[in-house]
Amino acid sequence: MIDAYIFDAVRTPRGKGKQTGSLYEAKPIQLLQTVMDAIQKRNNLDTKNVNDLFIGCVTPLWDQGANIAKAALLYSGWDQSIPGMQLNRFCASGLESVNMAAMKIRAGWGNLVLAGGVESMSRVPMGSDGGPLLYDPAVVSKTGYIPQGVSADLIASIEGFSREDLDQYALQSQQRALHAQQNGYFNNSIIPVYDENGLLILDKDECLRPETNMGGLNALQASFEEIGKMGYDAVGHSKYPFLDHVNHIHTAGNSSDLADGASLVLLGSKEKGEKLGLKPRARILSAVTICVEPTIMLTGPTPASLKALEYAKMEKKDIDLWESNEAFSAPVLKYQKDMGIDNDKLNVNGGAIALGHPLGATGAILLGTLLDELERRDLSTGLVSLCIGGGMGIATIIERV
Amino acid sequence: MIRYKKDTDNIVTLTLDMTNRKTNIINHEISQAFIPVLQHLKEEKAKGQLRGLILTSDKKTFLAGGDLDYLYKSYSAEEIFNYSQNMQLFFRDLERPGVPVVAAINGTALGSGFELPFACHYRIAIDKNDTLLGFPEVTLGIMPGSGGIIRLLWLLGIEKAYHVLTTGKKYSPKEALAEGLIHEVAKDKDEMLQKAKNWLMNHPEGRQQWDIKGAKIPGGSPKNRDTAKKIASLTASHIKKYRYNYPAPQAILNTLVEGAKLDFDTACRIESRNFTKLVLSKESKNMTKVFWYELNSIRHDKSRPKGFGKFRPRKIGIIGSGQMGSGIATACAQNGIDVILKDVSQSVAERGKNHAEKNLEFLVKNNKLTKEEKYKAISKISATEDSAEFESCDLVIEAVFENQQIKEKVTKEAAKHMDEYSFFASTTAMLSIDSLSSSFSKAGNYIGLRFFIPIGEHPLVEVVKGPKTSDETIARAFDFIKKIKKTPIIVKDNPGFYTARVQNVYLLEGIVMLQEGFPPAIIENACMMAGMPIGPLSKADNMSLKVVLDAERRAAEIYGKKYIIHPAVGVLQIMEKEERTGRFKGAGFYNYTNGKISGFWEGLTENFPTTQKDFNIEQLKERIIFAQVLEAVWCYQERIVSSVEEANIGSVYGWGFPSFKGGVLQFVNDYGIDNFIKKAKELELEHGPRFIVPKLLRQMAEKGEVF
Repeated sequence: MIDAYIFDAVRTPRGKGKQTGSLYEAKPIQLLQTVMDAIQKRNNLDTKNVNDLFIGCVTPLWDQGANIAKAALLYSGWDQSIPGMQLNRFCASGLESVNMAAMKIRAGWGNLVLAGGVESMSRVPMGSDGGPLLYDPAVVSKTGYIPQGVSADLIASIEGFSREDLDQYALQSQQRALHAQQNGYFNNSIIPVYDENGLLILDKDECLRPETNMGGLNALQASFEEIGKMGYDAVGHSKYPFLDHVNHIHTAGNSSDLADGASLVLLGSKEKGEKLGLKPRARILSAVTICVEPTIMLTGPTPASLKALEYAKMEKKDIDLWESNEAFSAPVLKYQKDMGIDNDKLNVNGGAIALGHPLGATGAILLGTLLDELERRDLSTGLVSLCIGGGMGIATIIERV
Repeated sequence: MIRYKKDTDNIVTLTLDMTNRKTNIINHEISQAFIPVLQHLKEEKAKGQLRGLILTSDKKTFLAGGDLDYLYKSYSAEEIFNYSQNMQLFFRDLERPGVPVVAAINGTALGSGFELPFACHYRIAIDKNDTLLGFPEVTLGIMPGSGGIIRLLWLLGIEKAYHVLTTGKKYSPKEALAEGLIHEVAKDKDEMLQKAKNWLMNHPEGRQQWDIKGAKIPGGSPKNRDTAKKIASLTASHIKKYRYNYPAPQAILNTLVEGAKLDFDTACRIESRNFTKLVLSKESKNMTKVFWYELNSIRHDKSRPKGFGKFRPRKIGIIGSGQMGSGIATACAQNGIDVILKDVSQSVAERGKNHAEKNLEFLVKNNKLTKEEKYKAISKISATEDSAEFESCDLVIEAVFENQQIKEKVTKEAAKHMDEYSFFASTTAMLSIDSLSSSFSKAGNYIGLRFFIPIGEHPLVEVVKGPKTSDETIARAFDFIKKIKKTPIIVKDNPGFYTARVQNVYLLEGIVMLQEGFPPAIIENACMMAGMPIGPLSKADNMSLKVVLDAERRAAEIYGKKYIIHPAVGVLQIMEKEERTGRFKGAGFYNYTNGKISGFWEGLTENFPTTQKDFNIEQLKERIIFAQVLEAVWCYQERIVSSVEEANIGSVYGWGFPSFKGGVLQFVNDYGIDNFIKKAKELELEHGPRFIVPKLLRQMAEKGEVF
């Protein structure tokens, strides 16, 4: 079996995903160009060696529509022989593209593949692409779709998590992220975004709220109570009738922030890496995508992780560090509970609650963050997972080499 | 069938007058009759000899609706689809040749009958009290299918059209004007025709919004993100309201959203497809049976004792001016009956009259009544403390506290002043009509009238006949209830009469599930999912657990050895001991804070520990329905209720039995009588003799009969 190796992983800083965010003025293609240039320069890469580019993007229209991957290749002046593909696995898109690159390499039908993601949520708001799952009443009524925030509240209600549990988790995310930022833990991966004159636009994650405290978090209003009461709770009840009510406790403070950003990972076979003088940093041990019941939606990481461990012939105790996307607090707390993960091994540098969640890019960002931290601590194995719309879940296990 | 008249300004008036029918309807016959007429009009237009067209009717109504008999009996998708497409073609032919058309709506236009005016370019209605305009199809489980949904979509946008179509509301001409359904009202036929002509003289071109290139649907297309978000919200509230049980509102929503993405003609074809599916659905057959055929048979006096002249109440007396008394007074006054409202003192009686006035004001606020009508109605009520005023009353109704002695006392007092021919009614929900009737001078003239609170909103009244009640009294009570625009069902004197007796079984079956170890939320949710309007635990709390328990105690007394004790009684006794008897106590199955539910009582899990972790929600849903159906079959077998119509209507109006099942007895037909008996036997094995199948049902199955 040919193994898939990670040679490099980079990302832009995460901007606030709204008009006041620093990256609002930057086009998504520009964000991709930033990380592609960095990969090329850092690795002294002759781009004609690259077989393919996979770019995850959840709302692929307008500025990020019509196959942004191929557009970015052309715009960045990469070799014309490289094909590009945009893919959408919702929040896991960035990691799914990495996994697909790994599969291509393991199959032997490619030996150097780039994978990552992009999302400008400020320019192309979530849901702009419509879709039957969200907006066709005939489909919605048949499939039990509810907005993710209501799903997160549903998880909290079933698991008995309190508002304080969620806020406490959110505070920890903020504190850990701030600590990591202040100590430069992200510096290895972050590629600042410049304008065409070389003037700096953004060089660090800007969603963080260092002033966060429990009082402040507690004062925030529940975000999904209104839409829940409007009708989505009733959908929840029809799937989980033992619940007497849905406890709406997710807020803007204990949910992930909208963000803009791009990420890119360079993967290849050992042989190709040696030929090009690339130093392998880690090996992909397994990659899994599964799906659970779609109304509760966000509980996929546990079965995905278990399956990934099974594929890798590993046990939970074999994993040194865990990274699970903080779309909302409750899914992470449930994941931690189900998997029995020590608090000091999970999301050790914070997550999307503090740092933001640029949908299509996040998966590959998390992979890079995990790898950086394994290297910093000189540990070996890590597992990254994300919950996904529609009930899907993804997990990837890496091992440093 | 269609009368043609052309005036000197080249304006043609087509008057619909279908032969051998009391009303005009939309069917094959009329669409065929229109073909040559429309052809002729086209030729006239080409010759420049036609300025415009007025469409009106010579009947009392404009167009009563579609051909429901035809649709109800139809089981072929192809046939229904073609029917719908043909109607659409007819309407397109009317609106498209460029001849401006005015619908001169001289009276009621409902369903397909109201679709036709939307294929006209202008709509004027006479502002009459008894004119009703709207699309009530949804209440029969169907929807418009002649292009009406798509036309409404183009006029009002998705959200407003959804509201008009899913409420099935029937509008007065003024309300219809306010909703944007018609363009103008006129005070009489002459003015209407004059206005129609004026409009035609000023509008030589007739073109619909949807036939203008580049025109847009109000509120935007679903491709627009804000509109899409509104559709998502609408869908959420829709699901909450209908719990996946009602295909008609769902099909309406689907048609509107899908139709808004497509051109007019393709959208209409989608409407035909969805219409076809609905017409063929079990739900529409069930709902049409109960809300059309059965309700009409009650309205047409099928259950009323024969041989007695129509009773026309002029003046009635009411004793007790609380919520019940003042509610009945409101209903009477609104329908032109004089009311003597009596209470213990003049001031108390006046307070009751004020309450009635508030009821009427509420109706004015909701456009149900004009101010003048309100003044007229309130002047019909006179408050008093003196029974002597009952002298000239045709009927006296007592609506005092549920207490045998008090009721007997007020009855005797009133009887002194009533003549031999007048009759007396009690509103009791708990006491025996037979035992009360002895307090009236003539037991044959004593009857029960069980109203439901709030009276203004509830369509049903149980007319309770005691063993001594005369047929004539029943007939008169029946006529009175119809006069105040309620639906009467005749039931026998029996604890709980019909509706409360079966409802109690619903509550008990829900309550016993607690004892079996089901979590309370499951019980409430399962019942709501089954289509009940409110969970049994909250309903029991609202009614008071004492009332639920007392009904069982009375049944035990009356049925003696034959009474099968319901295992839920044990739960109720525990609740009684814990002093948690319901909402009015602020403590029942639920906790209450300021009168509002604030979660289940914590003691529930101590007293009734949750042991059922592996539950099958479908089984719970089925069982809760079966318990009600079996009890209703017992009632029917015991002649507590003596017709299928009354049993079905009583169930949906009385305690909210799911209407998509067509009522409580229709459920058996829908389920299949053999399957029903088989399932009931399984339930009997598992849960005991309360699920025994009544003999009547077994006999019906043997003979291959249905309800």
